[in-house]
Amino acid sequence: MNERDDRRLLRGMLGPDGPELTCEQCFEELDRYVELELAGADADATIPGMSAHLEGCPACREDHASLRDLVASGDDPTPA
Amino acid sequence: MTAGASVAPMRPAVDLRAGRQRGRGPDEESREWLSALRGTGARRDEAVAGLHALLLRAARFEVARRRATLGHLRGDDFDDIAMQSADDALVAVLAKLDGYRGESRFTTWAYKFALLEAAVKLRRRAWQAREVPLEPEGWDLLAGRGSSPHADAEGGELLGAVRRGIAEQLTPHQREVLVAVTLNDVPIDVLAERLNTTRGALYKTLHDARQRLRAHLDSEGLSVSREETG
Repeated sequence: MNERDDRRLLRGMLGPDGPELTCEQCFEELDRYVELELAGADADATIPGMSAHLEGCPACREDHASLRDLVASGDDPTPA
Repeated sequence: MTAGASVAPMRPAVDLRAGRQRGRGPDEESREWLSALRGTGARRDEAVAGLHALLLRAARFEVARRRATLGHLRGDDFDDIAMQSADDALVAVLAKLDGYRGESRFTTWAYKFALLEAAVKLRRRAWQAREVPLEPEGWDLLAGRGSSPHADAEGGELLGAVRRGIAEQLTPHQREVLVAVTLNDVPIDVLAERLNTTRGALYKTLHDARQRLRAHLDSEGLSVSREETG
């Protein structure tokens, strides 16, 4: 237990400061947000409240990281 | 502020439609996917098979990411979870095809369904044989914080105020959800399954609990900035 642990604990308990999307809105916007990020665009400005939600929701944060890494890996198949 | 006081409902920061790129539409490859999946006969069958392969790839990607945390599962278990996730995601994607807005590539849009299905299944498997710790364990953990030699006076005061806020300002359900998710690291999907509700509903509860805690800290003259918690 140290100050860093305490800050992490406080951050988890108090959540993000400011408006945020819901989990449903996050899922709806996740693909667009990831492509904006990977394109180097300002995804947070385009989709306000997304980064706050990802900060506050561990499950959506994991889902975001997975989609971002999968898309960044490239090699998408095309339909036959 | 009392436990029965209302808090502002969670809402998006702005109208999400305002930020969208109007008139962009799907790219050529995405239009091919849509056309084939909305078609008939052999062309549609091939497209559905191609989509399933794509979703299986995404599900396997998620399984590979989490495999190390699921040491008690066998290789066949992982294959089954990936296949079941791809099957479930295929059903979801085909059912929601009209909801695809063309604001990302079709493949990116479809991937998220498979990743979600796999992630939820894997989180639940990881906690399948485990008891979900609710109040007592997390409560004890928090009670021990802020009094260590590492904690400064301000941090200790803040943690003390948070402890009081949890005890006095939250409803039992808000307390249960906050402690489980933020102190005991119970995945919200797992908690949702145990409490027979949804991730979104539980996150709303968590959000409201956080709002009450912040309001409580404000009432005690303790403002919490990003710098203090980050």
